[in-house]
Amino acid sequence: MKVLRTLLIFLSLALAGSYAFALEPVLWNDNNFAPEFKYFQEQAAFTAETWTALSPEARMKELLDAKEPALERQKVMKRYYAAAMAKWSGPALKNYLSRTKEADIKAVDLWQGKEKAAAFVKKLALVQALEKKARAEGLTEDDALALGPYLLPEAIADLRSLKASAAALKKQTSAEALKGPESKSGASLNKFAGADPSKLGADSFSKLYDNMNVSGTDPVVAGGGRYAAGAANAGAAAQLTAPQTKKAAFTVPEVKSAPAANTAKSTSLTSDAYGVTIYTSGAQQPQTFRKGEDAVAAIRKMPDGSITKVIFYGHGSPGLQTVGAFDVDAESAGEILKGKMARGGVVQYSGCNTASIGGMTLNPAVGLSMVARRLLYFSLPYYQDRADGVSAEQARQQWEKGWNADLARDTSLKVRGAVVCGYRTFGLVPGRLPGVTRLLGNQEATTPGVVAGKKACYQDGKEVPAQ
Amino acid sequence: MTDLNVALETILLLASPFVPVAVGVMLRRKFRPAPAAEGAEPAPMTGSQKMGRLAGNILFWGGIAGLIFMVVVVLNYKGRI
Repeated sequence: MKVLRTLLIFLSLALAGSYAFALEPVLWNDNNFAPEFKYFQEQAAFTAETWTALSPEARMKELLDAKEPALERQKVMKRYYAAAMAKWSGPALKNYLSRTKEADIKAVDLWQGKEKAAAFVKKLALVQALEKKARAEGLTEDDALALGPYLLPEAIADLRSLKASAAALKKQTSAEALKGPESKSGASLNKFAGADPSKLGADSFSKLYDNMNVSGTDPVVAGGGRYAAGAANAGAAAQLTAPQTKKAAFTVPEVKSAPAANTAKSTSLTSDAYGVTIYTSGAQQPQTFRKGEDAVAAIRKMPDGSITKVIFYGHGSPGLQTVGAFDVDAESAGEILKGKMARGGVVQYSGCNTASIGGMTLNPAVGLSMVARRLLYFSLPYYQDRADGVSAEQARQQWEKGWNADLARDTSLKVRGAVVCGYRTFGLVPGRLPGVTRLLGNQEATTPGVVAGKKACYQDGKEVPAQ
Repeated sequence: MTDLNVALETILLLASPFVPVAVGVMLRRKFRPAPAAEGAEPAPMTGSQKMGRLAGNILFWGGIAGLIFMVVVVLNYKGRI
């Protein structure tokens, strides 16, 4: 009996202790929840301070919510690292050199650890240096040996033949051919020739297409995947991380009254409209720029917190917005606009598919746009990669993440406090239709007029009502 | 296996815009007005027949509009518009 009583006492104490332990708040970066905390850090969802401010129950709820995406992300990063450290084929070499960004290295560092990230960086640096050397002066035997652990033999053979093929190509290509046909519409006009979008009833028109309340209200949980933003992103980093043009500050053209805009109007039947429009607090007129580099130079000279709205207008694709030859992705936008946006200021990507597709929809036009996006940004590049000799699994992984990238959401995480908007669908601009653009004389408009598309806006990674 | 899955998915995705057109054509055929005997008035359609034909018309022409929309989207993707 005595033994039984003692046992009961210990049992009660153990139960009470376990209950108390269960209520213990989970500390920031607790090793038992390593994937979840890595996921929080990557998504910039919490910091040590904001985590401490949560109640123990709220912490547990956040951890439970993050468990599944965090484990999925962990798996993805494991596969990514394994593929990155395997011997590359020729196409894989090209892909990694053109698409790997600093964010990818950071992601490897976070998920796989510093040593593995260092190994990846070492591989990239060596391969990149020797690829450059292969182009310029060719590879020596020692170089080929150094590449042995990193590249497949055929990729090394390709690199060894690079110099000879480059020389042959140079011989064949005359200066005239390199120049290419002069674009009638794109070259001469640096002025805004289109109508003020606010006077075209753009918002009401777009309701035809985008304001179906039955879908897309829930923010899409981004499982990361920024490391594989797709072929459309190739070269974006190179262009965007080095936008420091040495041109003089751009003089702001008058939006409609500039005579040059009329005299230099293109006669082209098709549209070549793109540009950057910047609204600043206190200014009567927006500043419009045809060239992205000019806009970046102007933004750098603006005081902090002065931009109330900036519109990047041009063609878009998942994870990337182009403005003519200038590309903008989340990282470069974050760098360009760092500190410049007013609180609640709006960054508008006026390009197709610059947000993720969102949730289910009953709108057939949105549904067709989703189908087209999947076909054009997953199926098509998948087959292209397969034709280039990339393995099926590698191609699938890469495009599975890339086709639904959310540029607006990713940018909102970089430009904190600002509202960042993009289109979940292909954005159709009637004013860009061949012939119509000529009638309207807006072939080189720097600001979009009517855009029919489903808009999504984010602030600090959370979806907010469209602006 | 991955190739097969992607190929099947691609086929389904490519076929999806044609589905409403096909259904529309079927409905329009099914609810076609009965041909009248020479000189006689055609038999009037019942309410349900009218509804069936209307649904067929909506699906058919909506589907055609969808196909045109897809063409526009592809042109947009190619940078033509």
